Amino acid sequence: MGVPAHRIPALVVGAVIVLSPWIMPVWVVTLLGYIGLNAIVCLGLVLLTGMVGITSFGQAAFVGLGAYVSALCVLGFGVSPWLTLPAALAASGLAGALIGWLTIRLSGHYLVLGTMAWGLGLFYLFGNLQGLGGFNGIAGVPRLEAAGLSLVEPAPFMLLVWAVLAVLLAGTTILINSRAGRAIRALRDPVMVESFGVQSATLKLKVFVVAALFAGLAGWLHAHYLGHVSPSPFGINASVDYLFMAVIGGTGSPAGAVLGPAVVESLRTLLRDAVPALKGVGGNFEAIVFGALVILLLQRASGGLAPYLSRWLPQRPPARAPAMAQPLPRRSLPATGSALLEVRGLGKRFGGLVALQGVSFDIRAGEIVALIGPNGAGKSTLFNLVTGVLPPSEGEVLLQGTRIETRPPRAIAALGVARTFQHVRLRPTMTCLENVAIGAWLRGRSGVLAGALALSRREDAQSLFEAQRQLDRVGLGAQADAPAGSLALGSQRVLEIARALAADPSLLMLDEPAAGLRLQEKQALAALLRELKSQGVTVLVVEHDMDFVMNLVDRVVVLQFGTKIAEGTPDEVRRDPRVIEAYLGGLDD
Amino acid sequence: MTPVRQLALKLSALAIAAGMSATALAQEIRIGLTGTFTGPNASVGIPYRNTAEIYPPTLGGVPARWIVLDDGGDPTAGIKNARRFVDEDKVDAIVGSTSTPVATAMFDIASESRTLQIAMAPVAIPAGKAAWLFNIPQPVPLMVSAIVEDMKRRGIKTAAYIGYADGWGDLNWNGFSKLAADAGIKVVATERFNRTDTSVTGQALKVFSASPGAVFVGASGTPAVLPHVSIKDLGFKGPIYHTHGAVAGAFIQSGGKAVEGALMPTGPMVVTADLPESNPIRKVSTDFITRYQAKWGPGAVTPFAGYAWDAYLLLDAAVASAAKTGAKPGTPQFRAALRDAMIAGNEVVGTNAVYKHTDADRYGVDERGRVLVEVKGGAFRLYKP
Amino acid sequence: MNAVAYWSKSRAAHSGSTSPDRGRLNATIATLLVQDGLTSGLIYALLAVSIVLVFLVTRVLWVPAGDMVAFAALTMSLLRQGIAPNTVWLLAGLGLLAVIVQAWRCHRSGEWRSLRGVLLLALLPPLLGYVITRSGLAGAEAPVLVHALITLLLVAPMAPLLYLTAFRPLTEASVLVKLIAAVATHYMLVGFGLLFFGAEGLRTPPFISGRLDVGITTLSWHLLLSLAVSIVMIAALWVFFERTLWGKALRATALNRFGARLVGIRTERAGLLAFGIAGLIGALSGLMIGPIATIYYDSGFLIGLKAFIGVVCAAMASFPVAVLGALAVGVFEAFASFFASALKEAIVFVLLVPILLWRSLTDHSLHGEDD
Repeated sequence: MGVPAHRIPALVVGAVIVLSPWIMPVWVVTLLGYIGLNAIVCLGLVLLTGMVGITSFGQAAFVGLGAYVSALCVLGFGVSPWLTLPAALAASGLAGALIGWLTIRLSGHYLVLGTMAWGLGLFYLFGNLQGLGGFNGIAGVPRLEAAGLSLVEPAPFMLLVWAVLAVLLAGTTILINSRAGRAIRALRDPVMVESFGVQSATLKLKVFVVAALFAGLAGWLHAHYLGHVSPSPFGINASVDYLFMAVIGGTGSPAGAVLGPAVVESLRTLLRDAVPALKGVGGNFEAIVFGALVILLLQRASGGLAPYLSRWLPQRPPARAPAMAQPLPRRSLPATGSALLEVRGLGKRFGGLVALQGVSFDIRAGEIVALIGPNGAGKSTLFNLVTGVLPPSEGEVLLQGTRIETRPPRAIAALGVARTFQHVRLRPTMTCLENVAIGAWLRGRSGVLAGALALSRREDAQSLFEAQRQLDRVGLGAQADAPAGSLALGSQRVLEIARALAADPSLLMLDEPAAGLRLQEKQALAALLRELKSQGVTVLVVEHDMDFVMNLVDRVVVLQFGTKIAEGTPDEVRRDPRVIEAYLGGLDD
Repeated sequence: MTPVRQLALKLSALAIAAGMSATALAQEIRIGLTGTFTGPNASVGIPYRNTAEIYPPTLGGVPARWIVLDDGGDPTAGIKNARRFVDEDKVDAIVGSTSTPVATAMFDIASESRTLQIAMAPVAIPAGKAAWLFNIPQPVPLMVSAIVEDMKRRGIKTAAYIGYADGWGDLNWNGFSKLAADAGIKVVATERFNRTDTSVTGQALKVFSASPGAVFVGASGTPAVLPHVSIKDLGFKGPIYHTHGAVAGAFIQSGGKAVEGALMPTGPMVVTADLPESNPIRKVSTDFITRYQAKWGPGAVTPFAGYAWDAYLLLDAAVASAAKTGAKPGTPQFRAALRDAMIAGNEVVGTNAVYKHTDADRYGVDERGRVLVEVKGGAFRLYKP
Repeated sequence: MNAVAYWSKSRAAHSGSTSPDRGRLNATIATLLVQDGLTSGLIYALLAVSIVLVFLVTRVLWVPAGDMVAFAALTMSLLRQGIAPNTVWLLAGLGLLAVIVQAWRCHRSGEWRSLRGVLLLALLPPLLGYVITRSGLAGAEAPVLVHALITLLLVAPMAPLLYLTAFRPLTEASVLVKLIAAVATHYMLVGFGLLFFGAEGLRTPPFISGRLDVGITTLSWHLLLSLAVSIVMIAALWVFFERTLWGKALRATALNRFGARLVGIRTERAGLLAFGIAGLIGALSGLMIGPIATIYYDSGFLIGLKAFIGVVCAAMASFPVAVLGALAVGVFEAFASFFASALKEAIVFVLLVPILLWRSLTDHSLHGEDD
């Protein structure tokens, strides 16, 4: 018995669908065909909206682009219908790249409105451009033929659609579980992924193009099945339809992309044809029913219906690290004692407010340095300047001699700096293992295409193996399968450190790692940091907790009101009158 | 009820129906009718359904069953309905749809299944693939020719067009531009607008400033009032023509006095009372109007209802002819016989035209099927120049 | 001398030549186009104000703004024809939904006092509307003002009822979830519109017809009326926000929701009030648009979308910029319909993209917003 339990539902559904032309009436087969067609588009939406967070009200325009290009190629150039597929994909892919490049630069609600804008724009273009048949469209598009069998019957078309859908589903599922997929799933937090080297804009664009390609493919199928293209199935209403289907099914998983259209199309058939009392007027209720359903789901179950279904079905086991894997290449660490980080005269102004001024210090390889100071001293600002999140107003930062103060976080990560965050930035629904594996992004090379084609298996296994190693190192090895959001805050902070370690950094920068930890956890953390130092990792810790810091670090840098007021060993700093005054306040004169 | 049980119920119901229909096959003619009864264009489709409800129970003497489905104006739904007619209900003919894009989308299914389709919206039947396709409503070019003829009669040399930015606007513009060119009338301005526009001032100004001798508004229903009134307000004194889609009560009601004198072509049914006694259409029309009003109450009857009745009349004559060949309903032979009867070239007098379909002429309508009417005294009256 | 006479005179001067002015823009046409643009632009501007208000107070993008306009226009049209509008039933239906949702909340929280207010809001207007329209008072001969007031009574409460039903349960959700809910609400309203109003488009007879001669050009009375109504509305809003306690409460909620709650402002009531004002503005705009356009049950979407362009220009934050942006859209649309009427819609919406780009890059309140 070699079939994993979680694959059984899909196999059963697949079997039913393949057998349906013989065991089901024609109207069911036709319905399945349309469900499959819509599912292809919704799968793109699951990637785009569910994974990356881009709500798109314009997918139908890409479907239309694929359909129109197919129709024009066949009718204009006499190409065989099968050969119009590359043309349709090229058109929708190109348009996706162009429009996507513009759209991902928008944020929040502007982005959604942007998708509406070009969805509408393309619709009017379809209707008005010469040679596209105006609003009556183009009729007489030839059907697909294979082995002499015209695919105009519902059964062959349905089988073709579901064959395509099965391939796309498999590819998407494999992609989601690959290392590129982990990065995609983390794109909702661009600051975090950028700090581990992910080019979030490029990755978002790739996902956008993938969704556009899926839509174009559906358009090709649409044109050659219906034999007719006109603007109306590709307008804003159709786009809203697709999004609603995806929301109803659940944008969180590929299963939702199939469930949504299944529910919606079945309900639609029910309303229109099956209920005699509604015959003739049922069509008017469609919009009301679907609108109400979407609102209800948004209020009560914003993950859609798929999570409810998956409760009854066997779950896919979480990604596990292999027992053995070739270790990822290690970075060569700089010689102990050499200058690793040099901060020279760093300053930052926010308008009239001076957050930092003239701060200079060094960190030598192999040290643990603490950056302390009362609230408002500028520690976080300094941290953000060094990691590239903010640009400085003056001064420079050198990492092993290279100037980095103007570089983006991605580049700084590539040079060997890894960080944790003051407010924990984990993906709560991904497992601890997956979260840590994100840290190893820069240690591999395969991207979206390799991920989808299952070509990145080796690198996937290596990253997971590495992630498990780091989890064991920080003491969270047993929690590998737990969703990161289920951990206590203290453990989440340690998880972030594991993630940073997975990047194999030469400089580890920790932003208040001890906040929220109990005494034992702090001791364990201190032990961990000492061990890291012994292994040659340099650590910069920003911290409030004096006790934690004083027994652990080699040197301390003290900030107050944006300037450095002291620097030295813990003992020296502890006795420094300026530091005492900063923390306890001065004596009244 | 769980989905599985529902499915089982449906399956068994279908099995029973299939069993029953197998026996009924020999005795009964089945016609599938799909129209736009819901959605934004429902006002066009619903009169067809109203007429379908007063169809007599026989066609050509043979008991007939009409399967009436809604497509909501969506070509995909129309295709689904057509597939169902052909695959499950095994109809002998398809009537529909009432909306142009939907009817067009159904052509391939009719042709491939060798079932005749009578479209009830103005469509462009592709040449060379027309074997099974027929059309009832007067083709747009035929209607527009009435307008162009009147323009010629008045000696008008320049005209302007302002029409919908959609399929209807396209159809009328294509017809008009060709016929006007043939008649030597120069089109000096072409503008488009949307049904939902809040104003057409820009377009009206463009049209007016081009100083046309006449204006043709390619719209329908209430929105046709807007350009009409806008252009008249600017001081245009020439004749303003509309499409036959503007022949609706809503047009007069929205326009009031401002649209008096508007001219438009339409089927004779609308002005039945004004037709001469010698016109055979008058008798058929009056009969239909009486039946319709008996069921649906007094009030003007739209031409759309008339088209549906004409479909019945056409099939009635065709079935009578086809039954004589001995073929049984529900068989491909019967469907072929039905189609052959339709193209035999017999004249059938309808409410909107005298139809004569042949192999070459799938529209079957000539000048007897159109008249020019004007808005006079708040109603549509036959235009007498 | 009115515009038409002036127009004919200038044409007479050119007659006989192949007039170079044929179909080209000149000063008179431009003036008329600007007026035309302002007439629809004023409606977009009022809607833009309501959208900005609702967004600031509740972070909901009020996509159904246009539907309020459509419903009001249809209701007014029916009333002027002497037909009792089905709006009463639509309103009652929405009211019923709101009551059910509120009853569920009260059941969960155990506190039933708040149901009373919702019942009042949900049932009183439709009841009143039913009584008035079924009595003889609102027949076709009744004065315009009576019909206008009935329309306001029947349409304005729809917005707060929708807030209670659809948006209040989503108070804690992200802006995007609220946006999808707003689109779904719009979808539902369009469905309701088809059910209750039918598929026919309706026009309202003009309140005042004709034009006023001001020497260099003529102005339509309708434009002047719209202008007057708009100015009064905006002035009333200004007084409300600056001088009244609740107006200041709304502004406080808009600035910092949590802070407002801390000082004792009931932010949900503020949301209700904001929606109420939006409903009123929408209904008023509907009255204004009825005489100039054929309105269908689904006309609202495009009208709302054009108002949105003005809102986006203002980065969802500034009332004056939103008004100016919306007026600009109206004027732009009028000129586009002169130069390229077939592509008018395409141009207007494609124009939205660069505006969105500009605003998205400069709107700093967005940075740091995590889904």
